[in-house]
Amino acid sequence: MSPAMGKPKVRNKPDEGVQFPVTPMLDMAFQLLAFFVLTFQSPSLETHIDLDLPATPLALPGESQGAARPFPARRVDTDLENDLFVRAEANELGDLKGLRLGELAVPNIPTLGDRLQRYVQILEGRPLRVRLAADDTLRYEEATRLIAAISAAGATTIRLTNPASELQVEPAAAKTIP
Amino acid sequence: MPRRPWIRGGESFTLNLTPLLDVVLQLITFFMMLIHFGSKLEGATKDIRLPVAPAALPGKDLSLDRLVVTIDRQGRLLLSSGAIEADAADAWWSEQGKRRVEGQETLGGPTEEIPTLVIIRADKDVPYGKVRKTLSAAQERGFAHFTLVVLRGPER
Repeated sequence: MSPAMGKPKVRNKPDEGVQFPVTPMLDMAFQLLAFFVLTFQSPSLETHIDLDLPATPLALPGESQGAARPFPARRVDTDLENDLFVRAEANELGDLKGLRLGELAVPNIPTLGDRLQRYVQILEGRPLRVRLAADDTLRYEEATRLIAAISAAGATTIRLTNPASELQVEPAAAKTIP
Repeated sequence: MPRRPWIRGGESFTLNLTPLLDVVLQLITFFMMLIHFGSKLEGATKDIRLPVAPAALPGKDLSLDRLVVTIDRQGRLLLSSGAIEADAADAWWSEQGKRRVEGQETLGGPTEEIPTLVIIRADKDVPYGKVRKTLSAAQERGFAHFTLVVLRGPER
């Protein structure tokens, strides 16, 4: 037995704990904190309603060819109407005075949204198209509330029509992007 | 010579950094959760007040090719050069459409529809007819993609 084997193991400085160097980690943490503080943007309430409007030149009637042609075949849905008409009337101040869904009077915009939402469920996946004819004097805020409600209800297409010449001009077929 | 205050009896005073580190990491987590790269739409101005649409859903990412159009309360287009009336607006739309169609032709892309996204920032009190006519004017020049900037807010 060697004399070294009999010696007890000597611990190195038993009264000192292991020192974990926190300072580099803290430096990194401050770097990250500075980055996130500098890139911070206060939450905004802004959002946007996307509209996909086909360019008008495609929708304009072609020149007369002198020959009568039948309209191209159009798919006819024989069960439920999926092309609804919404009429919004404004009072002299530009506020919403009356709202109609087809021939039916609707008290307010949330009710219109609820009814359209239920109708979309009844349609079971078939696309819902809505023609919106609002008075030109209607305040833009009311119009955006209408468009947003119709879009949120699940309408795939909103057509912005001119109430004065509703049958002749359909300037904006707005496909909302869900 | 006076003794240094942080040395007592030969033992150095160690600052406990762990709570500080905890707080810093909490702050980092907080800011990380709130980070939003490029979510703000350009063209914000105090000249107009945006409409509030409670039913509006959160917007999605926008394409890179964008054209911001601001419409004030009188229905005029607010450009960097100043406000222009409806008559001049037609010429402006025409010029914008022409430039983009030329760009599309140069790139060899389709020219029937301009892929530029038109961001409409309109005052909440502007008559809807003015905005509709602006949309129509842009459509006539080939623009097809629009987005209306609104604010989300509680139901009134």
